[in-house]
Amino acid sequence: MALRVRVVSPDRVVFDGEASAVVAPAWDGQVGILPKHAPMLALVGVGKLDVDRPGGGSDTFHVAGGVLKVERDQVTVLTEYAGTEPPKVVPREAIVFPEDAEG
Amino acid sequence: MAGAREVKRRIKSVENTRQITRTMELVATSKLKRATDRVHAARPYAQGLQEIVSGLYSPALAEQYPILRRPDTVKRAAVLLLTANRGLAGGFNANLIRQARQQLEALRAKGVETELHIAGKKGIAYFKFRGEPMLTQRTDIGDRPTVEDAESLIGPIRARFESGEIDALFLVSSQFRSAMSTPPHTRELLPIQTEKGASSADVYILSPSGDMILERILPAWVRNAVYTALVENAAAEQGSRRTAMKNATDNAGEVLEHLTRTYNRARQAQITQEIAEIVGGSAALE
Repeated sequence: MALRVRVVSPDRVVFDGEASAVVAPAWDGQVGILPKHAPMLALVGVGKLDVDRPGGGSDTFHVAGGVLKVERDQVTVLTEYAGTEPPKVVPREAIVFPEDAEG
Repeated sequence: MAGAREVKRRIKSVENTRQITRTMELVATSKLKRATDRVHAARPYAQGLQEIVSGLYSPALAEQYPILRRPDTVKRAAVLLLTANRGLAGGFNANLIRQARQQLEALRAKGVETELHIAGKKGIAYFKFRGEPMLTQRTDIGDRPTVEDAESLIGPIRARFESGEIDALFLVSSQFRSAMSTPPHTRELLPIQTEKGASSADVYILSPSGDMILERILPAWVRNAVYTALVENAAAEQGSRRTAMKNATDNAGEVLEHLTRTYNRARQAQITQEIAEIVGGSAALE
């Protein structure tokens, strides 16, 4: 059983495919998602999103802000920003703790 | 009947016009293609956000957050009109302007104060001519609207709603059903309209709480509605322009056909007349 992962930013679908595991930057820290995860809605903070592919290897995206939904092995990350580079401007909806702001 | 030479000059001029409209049609076609791709690319995000917002919304929350407030009586309403920066797109701009005017009149008839925010040169030019005050005048949003464009457009208006300066916001833009069908459309953006979806609150692990997620997501949702409208409007503009320019090119063809016939007839008449004169002249000599 694999996860179906979609990473969607306002102007395009950045990633759509299968994954064995996802590590996403939720608003309060990294959250790991494996198949059969309970349904969840979480705010997305700013950071790296790792998508482990079923055959090995992984894709990494920088994301910032938005919301993450897990339901029946479908992971949807709706994010203000998604790309291979860190965002230049942090969207104002994203929660950033002062101690993380520097890194 | 016009002389053959004048007709010839008009043929040249119509041919030039047809050349120009045909080029504009081709340009619009290629821009339309890219604009349509952007419309489709923007849909998954809009749909996903809509599902989440409908799932989390509950009337009890409305009292807590300024962006969710639902005024009992609307005292002052804003109309945000999106038009194109350029003309020559058939009825595109005129339709949008008419829609906005009807909206303004309907509000005023109900005794509601109105204010006007416009993006696009054509809308601004019209309402300036009418002497209507405009709170926002934006002409810098081009064929490829970005999320930042949407935020800078809606941000101040959203703040006015949250602080209670306005009680409603109507967005007037073109829907993009297809390249041929781009009707003007009014959408009540604020107060937020939600059809109650299946509630996610009981089923999901929410992190943080449902209302805190909503608080963060709703501004993005409003902004995304404007972004989607900007993208669709840009595509609709190109669609209208292509149709208008195709009609102009076809009409120029018809005019040319008619003028060519007139020209041939005039030329023939001239030849006939010259022969008659020669025959007459030689008959007079005998």
